Amino acid sequence: MSPFFAPLAAALILAAGGCSRRTTDEAGVLRFWNGFTGPDGATMERIVKRFEHDSGLRVKMQIIPWATYYDKLTLSLAYGGAPDVFICHANRLAEFARYGVMRPIDDLIVSDRTFPADDLMPNIRDAARYGGVQCGLPLDCHPQGLYYNTRLFREAGITDARGEATPPRTLSEFLQAARRLTRDKDGDGRPDQWGFAFTWLRTNWITFISQFGGSVLTPDLVRSRINCAENAEATRLMADLITRYRIAPRPEGFDSWMGFRQGRVAMALEGIYMLSSLEEQKGLAYAGAPAPLFGRRQAVWGGSHVLCMPRTIGAARARRAWRFMRYLSDNSLDWAAGGQMPVRKSLLRAARFRTMRVQREFARQLPYVVFEPASHKSTEIMPFYDAAIESSLLGLQTPQAALDEAHRRISQVMARR
Amino acid sequence: MNQRTEERLTAYLFVAPYLLLFAAFLAVPVVYGFYISLHDWHVLGRARPFVGFANYSALLRDDLFHTALLNTAYFALLTVLPGNAASLLLALGLNARVKGETLFKTLYYLPVVLSVAVTAIIWRWLYSTEFGIINHYLSALGGPRPAWLNSPALAMPSLAVMSIWWGAGGNMLIYLAGLRGIPDEYYEAARMDGAGTWARFRHVTLPLLRPALLFCLVMSLIGSSQVFGQSYILTGGGPHYSTLTVVLYMYQTGFSLYRMGYACAVAYVLFALVLGLTVVQYRLVAGRREDFAA
Repeated sequence: MSPFFAPLAAALILAAGGCSRRTTDEAGVLRFWNGFTGPDGATMERIVKRFEHDSGLRVKMQIIPWATYYDKLTLSLAYGGAPDVFICHANRLAEFARYGVMRPIDDLIVSDRTFPADDLMPNIRDAARYGGVQCGLPLDCHPQGLYYNTRLFREAGITDARGEATPPRTLSEFLQAARRLTRDKDGDGRPDQWGFAFTWLRTNWITFISQFGGSVLTPDLVRSRINCAENAEATRLMADLITRYRIAPRPEGFDSWMGFRQGRVAMALEGIYMLSSLEEQKGLAYAGAPAPLFGRRQAVWGGSHVLCMPRTIGAARARRAWRFMRYLSDNSLDWAAGGQMPVRKSLLRAARFRTMRVQREFARQLPYVVFEPASHKSTEIMPFYDAAIESSLLGLQTPQAALDEAHRRISQVMARR
Repeated sequence: MNQRTEERLTAYLFVAPYLLLFAAFLAVPVVYGFYISLHDWHVLGRARPFVGFANYSALLRDDLFHTALLNTAYFALLTVLPGNAASLLLALGLNARVKGETLFKTLYYLPVVLSVAVTAIIWRWLYSTEFGIINHYLSALGGPRPAWLNSPALAMPSLAVMSIWWGAGGNMLIYLAGLRGIPDEYYEAARMDGAGTWARFRHVTLPLLRPALLFCLVMSLIGSSQVFGQSYILTGGGPHYSTLTVVLYMYQTGFSLYRMGYACAVAYVLFALVLGLTVVQYRLVAGRREDFAA
């Protein structure tokens, strides 16, 4: 038997030795996880390289596709192996914060005398707070806004005195423009150019309901109010854009964003992060504007990438991690260039930011950005409003019936524990 | 160490790698899964209180779980018998010793080699309401343009058709092997007795194909009750929960919501149901014990 086990034992010892040596090597290296698999990953990599150069610290960045990112992050936070710095979307923050797996950063902000804490947009900073503590440092904000095809606008004569395409600012302007932009060119009874198309139903819907004063949960985040009159009114308007005004296709088997890129859709509400996919589209003339006022008050869906650290991080590493987080925030104009927007007031005023034509327009909405409900059950209730929106827009249920069903299910979830 | 002990040890050493893997990745997780199902087990939670059978009793009241069960049964209904019928038809066709048999065999078997992700992406394009080839030809013929994956009535049948296309080749090979194993003398004898094509199929082919039929039906039923990838990739369980299957529900509960206790309870209920169904099916189709030995 011994001939079998001797090499095995040797291998185990070697492996263990290898491990411990690697850990000492990596003691000085900051591990940073994110899901920036697109062009944003390359942008982030450049900033990280510069940080390494400027600080003398080493960063090992790992990019994990968003689809599996949170699985991996959750497991690492639960069972060990979590990185020193990781990105968490503002709408997922409460879920992690509730289980206390993140290290609050209030003390690091206070002890860093040169960090201008009040330079952060207060509403975005608050989106990274939970239970009275700052769970992370918001790197950016990515609100939705109106993308419009300037060539189609000019063709339809929706221009100002100088012949420049003019984006709609109100519901009536929007409907008027969309009607003129919806065209059945080959006369087969089906439009082949649409004035508008819903892209990501959930975030489009959050923009609509927020503009009507609606929300998914009560302000204390304890109960569902998804079937409130405001939400029903907003959802009905969305369905009307398809069935009554006939300016948007049914969201089934229609790749709306591809439609916008190919010039078959004239307007879409999408996040600023989609900018890079437009830049690579040859021959597309487009511009960005704040979302029109569909309801009674200005509001638009937004998200934020928040820089966080795990609870288990040691004091010295936490200070190094903070230096890195702060560097990313200080340099978030470079990050913004790839299709994001900084949340530092000084950077938003910077001359360089004023040259980013779409970011600049979308940034006007920052004061009234609406995040998804900051409840730790946010992820759990999301599928229920997804289903309600889909049913309403496909005409499977009336908006009120769909929202009532979602209300019943969300109430069950909120009542548990 | 005498020779017998040494031989025995050698034998154990040979099976050890498999046993280790079996224990680490199957036996232990299966038992541990049951333990988890008795707890309120959030992945991130530091306290994971024991709740007894509370997760199971909650499942009884969970109408989404009931929807998922019904949807899974519907999928099985749409795929098990029609799918096996398709495989058997293909096998019968190939058994006629047609020209180019190898080519056809390869062509019919080819989809089986694909992963569910690849298959789903191919069919997403076929089914696309706007750009899909199916609707392209339908509308060219003056027909409607159905929303194959976005209408609650059509979504599950669409997934079933795709699954049959994907899997028919596998069972086809088993049936073909079964058919080739039936001695020609039986058919000759039947012909002498004046049996027509249908009678020969009904009284010779089917009874002698019973072991293959039993195997394929049981495996198809187990496979279809675990359907996941199709709806995960193509529909996400929608529209309006019409393609939410039990395994998809388990996955969403476990890996989107991290409620592992509840997800494990779903898994165990599914396990019990599949086991029960397999026993029933075995009794119905098998009749004789030696069928399984074949």
